Amino acid sequence: MADVVPAEEFVELAGGRVHLLRGGAGEPVLFLHAAGGAGVWHPFHQLLAEAGFTVLAPDHPGFGKSDDFPAAEGVDDLVYHYLDLLDALGIGRPHVVGGSFGGWIAAELAVHSPHRVGSLTLLSAAGLRIPEHPVTDLFLLPPDRLVATLFHEPPPPPPPPPPGAQPDLDVIIAGYRESTSLARFCWVPFLSNPKLERRLGRITAPTLVVAPSDDRLIPVEHARRYAERIPGASYAEVADCGHAMYFERPAEFAATVVPFLRTHPLTAESGVSR
Amino acid sequence: MKFSFFHLMPYPYLPDDFDERYDSSALTYPNANFSPERGRALYARYLDELEYADELGFDGVAVNEHHQSAYGLMPSPNLMAAALTRRTSRARIMVLGNAIGIRGNPLRVAEEIAMLDLMSGGRVDSGFVRGIGWEYFAHSVNPVKSRSRFNEAHDLIIKAWTSPEMFSWYGENYEYRYVNLWPRPLQQPHPPIYIPGAGSTETMKFCAERKYTYMSVYAPTRIVRRWFDGYREAAAELGYKPDPERIAFSVPIYVADTDEKAHAEARPVIEWLYRKGLKQTPEMVTPPGYMSPGSLRGVLSSGMRPLGGFSYEDLLANGQAVVGSPSSVAKRLGELYDELGGFGQIIGLFAIGPSTHEQVMRSAELFATEVMPVLRPLGTTEEATS
Repeated sequence: MADVVPAEEFVELAGGRVHLLRGGAGEPVLFLHAAGGAGVWHPFHQLLAEAGFTVLAPDHPGFGKSDDFPAAEGVDDLVYHYLDLLDALGIGRPHVVGGSFGGWIAAELAVHSPHRVGSLTLLSAAGLRIPEHPVTDLFLLPPDRLVATLFHEPPPPPPPPPPGAQPDLDVIIAGYRESTSLARFCWVPFLSNPKLERRLGRITAPTLVVAPSDDRLIPVEHARRYAERIPGASYAEVADCGHAMYFERPAEFAATVVPFLRTHPLTAESGVSR
Repeated sequence: MKFSFFHLMPYPYLPDDFDERYDSSALTYPNANFSPERGRALYARYLDELEYADELGFDGVAVNEHHQSAYGLMPSPNLMAAALTRRTSRARIMVLGNAIGIRGNPLRVAEEIAMLDLMSGGRVDSGFVRGIGWEYFAHSVNPVKSRSRFNEAHDLIIKAWTSPEMFSWYGENYEYRYVNLWPRPLQQPHPPIYIPGAGSTETMKFCAERKYTYMSVYAPTRIVRRWFDGYREAAAELGYKPDPERIAFSVPIYVADTDEKAHAEARPVIEWLYRKGLKQTPEMVTPPGYMSPGSLRGVLSSGMRPLGGFSYEDLLANGQAVVGSPSSVAKRLGELYDELGGFGQIIGLFAIGPSTHEQVMRSAELFATEVMPVLRPLGTTEEATS
């Protein structure tokens, strides 16, 4: 399996086209990406695929190469969007793995349609409103402070551009498009649904909640709260790691997630119907 | 040419280490730095200045709206306008404008402007602005919705002012089952509308279609020229030539008895305005969704630089401030009139940053008595068609 090569697909839905990367063979894993990293096949994806899963990594509306889907205005719309996508792909009940913003969508999906989620893995998921442990306002952070917030050990800054170099407008505008899409779904209430916490008891799927040990964006109390409120959820931390999670420590994240997925195959018992 | 005296009501008492310690005068600049006693004195002084402008014969006195900022102390421009209705008698009272992009209830704006219009005897001009970037953080309004909220609030307010019967409103952002405005405005069909433009072609077209006054924000002359031309072209596409009065040039103006005195006094206050008053981070200027991708591309490729990056000399050369003796200021504004392809209104910022009350009063007085008469014939319909 070490030679997994992801394939690129576009899936037509009523509101537009979804860009999707697919790799590996085995039980399907729907991977819902964080605010950053859309449209890229990450080492973490590769490790899950090599472990014997079919990884399906779509770009959210307004991210990567997916269309904007302007009718999607909130996370409730994203839940219907991903139900539509699963239907279009002919997948009844996949493993669902979501990171940060994508973790929030995964939790909402599992609350809304418990029977469509075979297992649920939340990687430092957004979505909860815990006023005493607020989420850092990433929209106000300049790029260097954003990097310092996301990583336990920030990578060295890129070399300064040569004098007179023109910035790549396409890159700037693509980044602005994605932050605009994120803001569309989460400006207020900020990265959360105040009603989500009291609904988490609806989730029936086996659930793993993972937090990086040094999360400066979403305090670790959010992951702990998810683990407390989701029936039967287990909790794990990845050491020496920031909110960048599978960007910063892909092997450790895979080593935490893969055994959980293997322990909970998509049998009839997992994620029972509600 | 029409002239107005515009006030931002700045809080000028920034600490000596402001530049090193703070990345903005707004949003995150701690309000522990606000002294209520100084604030009390500033409001009294600033209202005196606006009232003096009315006495001096300015055609308008203008206020605007900003939130959580030392740059401008008018979260509610309508309150200031209300004070002015009772203490001025001639000048137009220009609210430039209400930030209807961030208001929770636009019907309240329709009501307040109607009240002001009645209280002032029909002297109100109603500007509408989206609210600037940091204010979408400050008032927790999604900047992605900025244009939609602005457009819908505008349409609702105009309809509330003009509809002869009660109506219901079901929009993307607002829903009202009963719109039945009491009181209605004095001016019919409604007070004149002013809209600031900063390069958006949508805004140029919006103003040209409705014959609203299009006003510039502070930017280099070559860029303002592009905006004014865009408005004129949008009007031409609709088959008319805009009345010059529908184009308003906004600029900080400092007049003193001599050029030497003017520059000596103006340099620190102009630098304060652009380097401290307008100090913001890029994230505050352009929150996500505040601009369309096309507008952002336009701004980035136009070579616009952060305002704080210009020297005093640059700002003068770029037409972002006009400073000098009365004759120099008249001459320079005449040049800018030509460079910008004409305009029919000058919206002058005379109370600039930490300038003193005496400086502001003298500057306004010299402008009214010695500059306005020189420029008055410019920018009228007769002049434009001759």
